[in-house]
Amino acid sequence: MNRPLSPLTRATLVEAPDDLDELIEFFHARRWSDGLPIVPPTRERVARMLSCTQRKPDEIIAKVAPGFGEATVERIAINAVMAGCRPDYLPVLIAATQAMSAPEFNLQGIQATTNPVAVWLIINGPIAEQLSVNAGPNCLGQGTVANATLGRALRLIMQNIGGALPGDMDRATHGQPGKFSFCCAENEAQSPWPPLHVERGFKREQSTVTVVGAAGTHNMNTHADNADELLRVIADTMMFPASNDYWIGGEPWLVLGPQHAAILHAGGLSKAEVKRRLWEESKMPARRMAARELQRTQAVRESKIGPINEDTMLAAADGPEGIGILVAGGPGTHSVYVASFGDARAVTREVIA
Amino acid sequence: MEIAKRGKAAVTVVSNAFIGLGRAQSRSLGHANLPLAVIPHPFGSRTREEVRALAEQCVAEIARLAAAK
Repeated sequence: MNRPLSPLTRATLVEAPDDLDELIEFFHARRWSDGLPIVPPTRERVARMLSCTQRKPDEIIAKVAPGFGEATVERIAINAVMAGCRPDYLPVLIAATQAMSAPEFNLQGIQATTNPVAVWLIINGPIAEQLSVNAGPNCLGQGTVANATLGRALRLIMQNIGGALPGDMDRATHGQPGKFSFCCAENEAQSPWPPLHVERGFKREQSTVTVVGAAGTHNMNTHADNADELLRVIADTMMFPASNDYWIGGEPWLVLGPQHAAILHAGGLSKAEVKRRLWEESKMPARRMAARELQRTQAVRESKIGPINEDTMLAAADGPEGIGILVAGGPGTHSVYVASFGDARAVTREVIA
Repeated sequence: MEIAKRGKAAVTVVSNAFIGLGRAQSRSLGHANLPLAVIPHPFGSRTREEVRALAEQCVAEIARLAAAK
């Protein structure tokens, strides 16, 4: 039995089984989950979640593509409960929903494409520590409540409010594990450079969330011990002919481990200079692409960068500033290349309770 | 969709891999009966000449769907 709370923007109460096993199957049967068990979004749990924002439950934060369901504060809170979020995570999810609905993020494309693209959440500022979002060892892996559940909640919002169910409006050929959750904070304490949100125009004491359309993660393990050599091997890893970044002119990202960031800083490089060097050194000869990709590249990029032929050296982004850099992770000789969806630009929004 | 909302004839061209998306999205946006003209998948890797040929193949169907509106 469904009982509306009215008005239309309020959620509907649903009578669900008391037995936990039956309840979990109840959610699976309705495709309200991501395939994992959910936390029952009871009125009490949703109310606790809503107590952590000053916004009204029926405030519409965004309309979420491709179904353009209205993401009210209450609906975001319900999905946050289901994902296992703690109540004080709610403002992060509200900001993330705002961010991913900005036109330049191209959520319609991200949700409905055959590409495996996931939405990567990057948390900056004081709230990262307040919520214990992992920015250190295994920050892109398992084991931290905030990282696991914030990313999961955003996926449930995209699926349950945006309507992008796998095989239906979500047309991904394979998808990727990051579509369950993809969330970390920046390791601001161990970064030699200003943090991401400061680079993007916010004050250090502001808290922000940045959304990125991430096609996947590719680990780079290198013991290079000087900036020139490290940049050379990272740039070489960025180049691959089946990359969306190269045929569209995208926005590739690098998660530099603190050790690698320290090597680049010790080499006298600012973040902007790292971007400029990588942009130059990762240019790829267009002939490495399949003939079809070269044709697509010509159709898409010639208006911006001029004539393209097999000898053209293609950059992964339209300019050096198009490369995103984050310092995160723990000790180790690893950094991560995050190729992008290509046809999307990262968006940052302030987290406000 | 915006054209359909204004009461004008509107047809969406989709490749056959995206029929489900087209139908679901038009339903979500309140135009469940928005006509779809279907072309073979994939579309993104077509040359300009191939796109032109496809357009010629489906133009009659588009006109038929638009006229039926």
